[in-house]
Amino acid sequence: MADTTRALDLIGQIEAVTGATLDDPANALSYLADPDAGLLQLLRVAEAARDAGLLADLVALRDSEAGARLGVVLGGSLALGDFLVRHPEYIADFAAWPRGQSFTAVDARAVLLEAVGADPASDAPVATVTGEAGIAALRIAYRRQLMRVAAEDLFHATPPAIFPEVGAALADLAGAALEAGLAVARADLPTHTHTRLAIMGMGKCGGRELNYVSDVDVIFAAEPAGDATEEQSLKAATRLAAAASRACDRPGAEPPLWQVDANLRPEGKDGALVRNLASHQAYYERWAESWEFQALLKARPIAGDREIGERYVEAMQPMVWTAVERDGFVEGAQAMRRRVEEHVPAEVADRQIKLGAGGLRDVEFTVQLLQLVHGRHDESLRSRTTLTALKALRDGGYVGRPDAAKMDRSYRQLRVWEHRLQLRKLQRTHLMPEDEDGRRALARASGFATLEYMDEVWHDIRRDVRAMHLEMFYRPILPMVASLSADEASLDDAAARARLAAVGFDDAQAAQRHIAALTEGVSRRAAIQRQLLPAMIGWFAQGAEPDAGLLAFRTLSEKLADAQWYLKLLRDSSAAAQRLARLLSTSAYVTDALLASAESIPWLDNDADLAPRSKERMWAEADAILRRSDDAEQCITALRGLRRRELARVASADVLGLITPVEAAASVSDSADVLIEGALRIAAAEVAAEAGLDALPVRFLVVAMGRYGGSEMGYTSDADVQFVWDGSHPEGQKLAVKVAQRVRKLLQSVSSQPGLEIDADLRPEGRNGPLARSLASCAEYYGRWSDPWEAQALLRARPCAGDQELAAAFVAMIDGVRYPPSLPDGALRQMRTLKARMESERLPRGVDPRRHLKLGPGGLSDVEWSVQRLQLEHGHEYPALRTTRTLEGLDAATREGLIDAADAAVLAEAWRLATDLRGAIALRGRTRDRDVLPGDSRELGVLAEILSLRLSGAQLSDLYGRVTRRSRAVTERVFFGWESDQ
Amino acid sequence: MDKQQEYVLRSVEERDIRFIRLWFTDVLGVLKSVAIAPAELENAFSEGIGFDGSAVEGLTRVYEADMLALPDPSTFQILPWRGARQGAARMFCDIATPDGEPALSDPRQVLKRTLDKASAQGFTFYTHPEIEFYLLEKPEPGQAPKPVDRAGYFDNVPRGTAHNFRREAITMLESMGISVEFSHHEAGPGQNEIDLRYADALSMADNIMTFRTVVKEVALEQGVFASFMPKPLFDAPGSGMHTHMSLFEGDRNAFYEAGADHNLSPVARQFIAGLLKYAPEITAITNQYVNSYKRLWGGAEAPSYVCWGSNNRSALVRIPVHKPGKGQSTRVEYRAMDSAANPYLAFSVLLAAGLKGIEDGLELPEGAEDDVWELSDAERKAMGYEPLPASLSDAIQAMERSELVAETLGERVFDFVLRNKRAEWEAYRAQVTPYELEQYLPVL
Repeated sequence: MADTTRALDLIGQIEAVTGATLDDPANALSYLADPDAGLLQLLRVAEAARDAGLLADLVALRDSEAGARLGVVLGGSLALGDFLVRHPEYIADFAAWPRGQSFTAVDARAVLLEAVGADPASDAPVATVTGEAGIAALRIAYRRQLMRVAAEDLFHATPPAIFPEVGAALADLAGAALEAGLAVARADLPTHTHTRLAIMGMGKCGGRELNYVSDVDVIFAAEPAGDATEEQSLKAATRLAAAASRACDRPGAEPPLWQVDANLRPEGKDGALVRNLASHQAYYERWAESWEFQALLKARPIAGDREIGERYVEAMQPMVWTAVERDGFVEGAQAMRRRVEEHVPAEVADRQIKLGAGGLRDVEFTVQLLQLVHGRHDESLRSRTTLTALKALRDGGYVGRPDAAKMDRSYRQLRVWEHRLQLRKLQRTHLMPEDEDGRRALARASGFATLEYMDEVWHDIRRDVRAMHLEMFYRPILPMVASLSADEASLDDAAARARLAAVGFDDAQAAQRHIAALTEGVSRRAAIQRQLLPAMIGWFAQGAEPDAGLLAFRTLSEKLADAQWYLKLLRDSSAAAQRLARLLSTSAYVTDALLASAESIPWLDNDADLAPRSKERMWAEADAILRRSDDAEQCITALRGLRRRELARVASADVLGLITPVEAAASVSDSADVLIEGALRIAAAEVAAEAGLDALPVRFLVVAMGRYGGSEMGYTSDADVQFVWDGSHPEGQKLAVKVAQRVRKLLQSVSSQPGLEIDADLRPEGRNGPLARSLASCAEYYGRWSDPWEAQALLRARPCAGDQELAAAFVAMIDGVRYPPSLPDGALRQMRTLKARMESERLPRGVDPRRHLKLGPGGLSDVEWSVQRLQLEHGHEYPALRTTRTLEGLDAATREGLIDAADAAVLAEAWRLATDLRGAIALRGRTRDRDVLPGDSRELGVLAEILSLRLSGAQLSDLYGRVTRRSRAVTERVFFGWESDQ
Repeated sequence: MDKQQEYVLRSVEERDIRFIRLWFTDVLGVLKSVAIAPAELENAFSEGIGFDGSAVEGLTRVYEADMLALPDPSTFQILPWRGARQGAARMFCDIATPDGEPALSDPRQVLKRTLDKASAQGFTFYTHPEIEFYLLEKPEPGQAPKPVDRAGYFDNVPRGTAHNFRREAITMLESMGISVEFSHHEAGPGQNEIDLRYADALSMADNIMTFRTVVKEVALEQGVFASFMPKPLFDAPGSGMHTHMSLFEGDRNAFYEAGADHNLSPVARQFIAGLLKYAPEITAITNQYVNSYKRLWGGAEAPSYVCWGSNNRSALVRIPVHKPGKGQSTRVEYRAMDSAANPYLAFSVLLAAGLKGIEDGLELPEGAEDDVWELSDAERKAMGYEPLPASLSDAIQAMERSELVAETLGERVFDFVLRNKRAEWEAYRAQVTPYELEQYLPVL
């Protein structure tokens, strides 16, 4: 009791009103969920009884079990207390219920029909108590029965034990209420004889596991009666259906019971309220979505015409049990479940008993999915009731006994809490109370001694239920010999294959082989794999290519058979295991990288390890390598290994969505810079030594060109560079060329670590020019050749390795060329012509230009040329434009007002999307041609998955088409200057 | 196997059908057909029938991609001109990619997608076309087309070919479950009109494809030739396909509001405003051939200017007057479209334009009372009546810039249509016509 004085005062008042004394009130009160409220309600009930002259009924309950039941009802449900205050004549009910007889003996349908004066023996009973009076009579009769169920439920020593009976009784009561509502409706509608209306219960009502208060989900089906036409039948049935619903859910003198919700019907809110059987069937055959079949699993006739109801079930059930054959059924169902979860507002997610993680819906969903997957072949699984179905799944060996027991326990407990919360005010709620008083009342009502204990159980249940979906669904796929214990379920081969195929494995047989290979044997390794695999299989199934993922996992695991840390890491870090599953089932590039360097796998456990390394940090490591050893071979191998490792890191982070593809490209470019710098240092030392010198007598510079110059390099791109030197040594040119050749050789020679192709074709005079050129010669060349396209190539020139001073001098020299004070006459025309010619000539034969990410209309090259045009023209005037990076250049041009902001946004979007797609294609690692968008929509879907876009392949293709169409239109204006004639 | 598929299999067996034609439509609206034997039917339902997907891409094919035709069992019909015994039947197909996704290049899917959009806003789209066509004598190469009669509008020609023809065609259409509302002789010699009873737009588009086939088949049987060419005769009216449209919300006509101006609801006014605003950019779809523009700009009631009016036969959009109390039949008539349009795409862009009008709450301009053809250029300009594109080339240019059309058709179909139409315009422009030879050769 919160306030003893107040309690004593209330007890005094009760005794004054009733004229009777309460024996040992402290003990009596200790049974009540909410003693304060219980006492107050008792006082109000006593006053009402006194005013109605029914005090004797109340006093008679004193010191009896019936009295104790009244006590727990008043303490557990304010709403039922209010009912007794409104209707003190039903206090006597508590004494009238036969001792030793449970509410399960009551025929709810008969009781409620008799309450409205209808004949329960009739097939279509008609009420004689009609209109508002009929509705009030049915609601009162309903509440009297509800009170009886609640009294027994609240009084029970172990509420979870009696839960199935309670749920069934509530569902029967709901059906009876609708039946009585129909009887009242018939009395008002003489044409009711035109139709035979059946009311199908869906959801929890259909499953006979209803709550105290929730929307009652129904579907109406009707067929003509006698000679009536279809039209007459549907007209009458629609009015009956609406009136029966109203009898339950419209406000009235006696408050409404619950909402009748018919939105699960075909076409939802937009569909007709009542349909005939053929129309229902046609809908499910042609239009219904996967989740609608899942809902249909629960359909059960609850009121109205029995035969029509049964025919409905007969017609629909075969479709339910073949629904799993639909493409992507399980995937769709799981996506739907995730969406529901995401819609739970974050602030209440932790308190959601029903929809939150580890809540009731998780249990129901897992059970239903297993029913749908296996119920096709095994009819014993086709129960509508969650706990019955769970038991059947256990008995059939589809889920393990311990799992089933845990699930059963959790489900009952969650439902008991839900019931207790709803009983209090007869309100629809699924939230654990926030305030301590509310939680305390709940703990007491559901038989928990302390609040702390209840919180602990609630926490455990949520964790168990959440973990159980993957366990229950995937564990039994493991072969029998891989069972963790004798109680473990193990599916026979066919059932295991069915489950694997249902979640998206194309070759279920091969998958089974991999699983067997991983889990068989008595080794510790196999034992850990048996722990790991159920969850891993689930994660592979969510990836783009489950089969490839599982195969790669097997290969990796076999390769790392002796590495203790590997399985330990996956066992202890579910984040690492989940990420590994995603990488392996999505990206062949990363899979290869991980197979080549297992040391990358521990990074998956730690975001900081997956963050791209800065250039400084990479260089510090490279520098240390170079200082440690004089052996050129050893050094370059180590440097190439360093780059490979960083690529694996960046690619993993990229696939996992931790960095953007633009960031990834910058980091890939950085690692090339570091490698080239290192190779240059080795080459310079070697060439100097061969010439008998201490050090190279000239300054030397490597300049990154093209996309590499823009720090937009792809994972597998070549490095476009040119080599520049400066100095007065007579042998300078010869030595410089030697250094360049040596750098190239170091980077490209065959070795255990991957190399980097060097492409120097963008140097002055291209392939005909010397491989290295002096600064003076470069200056002379660019001064002589005033062709604007040469200058355009320089826009992306960026010194990436070598002498800093020479770098500064080179940049100063080319700035004069690439940012001229004014463009020479005809330069723009020449650029445009060149671009137009490239469009028709450079595209590979047989490729649809629109799918070419680089050269296609609106693709990378369109955007880049548009930006470069602005840089050439205005770079002299606006220093902000002087960048080798496309997006930076575009941003600067927008800020300086050189391009309309909307146009710039269109270009940027197209450039980003094309860049993202190129990156995704490289990560996917399935095709050699990284510049062409695949035509296969499934492959496109995988790219969307890599990019974390929630799009189907077809949608991605449409998106790319739209974005590039717009960017092409902007290019035509901004770059080509074609005037639109509007 | 669902009930409808079973029904088809049973019918095929009971009616002794020897061939089942699987029909689909390419981006230009040309009917394509794959015939399969009854033994393959079950497989066609479960797996689809594979074919070279470039067949749907019109004349400028780029891609060789495998596609699947998935027959829609609800469209099963026996083809009556093949005889009752040992006959043939047809079903329309949806086109899918090998992994079962709807193909982006399938016009039927374009319409389905657009109808889905309408349905998401609670609308069902109904159409009712008046299809005009010419009955000609069997064409001889190099000869001008010869109409089968010289009659005019609503003329009753005793024992006329056209009369028999219409009776025969209508019987056949009805036997295929296509209801005919109305039929009569049209203004041109040999020109006929048959109006189909309104239906939801997808069924109607299927019906129009069937209609064209039936009309051509019946004509062949009667030794004449039927043509849906928009303007076959230089000096006679062209063949349009005036299309009446309405949106329903459940059972209620969303265009009707009792007592409002013309009894048009705000939804109807916005829908019309959308049609008017987007008319120029959808014209390449509703009037897709070089020849279409000879009808559109050839006078004789063809609407060339963007305006609307009640019962104004020169307006692009007309509001037919209905009998009092017949609010359910309130509708708007779009008069530009011709009989050679691809009905799937044309209905899609019309619906999309109207829905966009509703979505953006567009204001309907003043209605036109005058005969727009009688006005001077200056008057039309002053009144704000924009012209529709004057040629296929103009129409292509208007469509190229249209986000509405791109979004409605999807980027793939949008691209195919443009490619096809550009190629057509270039081929046409290269022609030296008899007119030029006659006009210039003697004097130049």
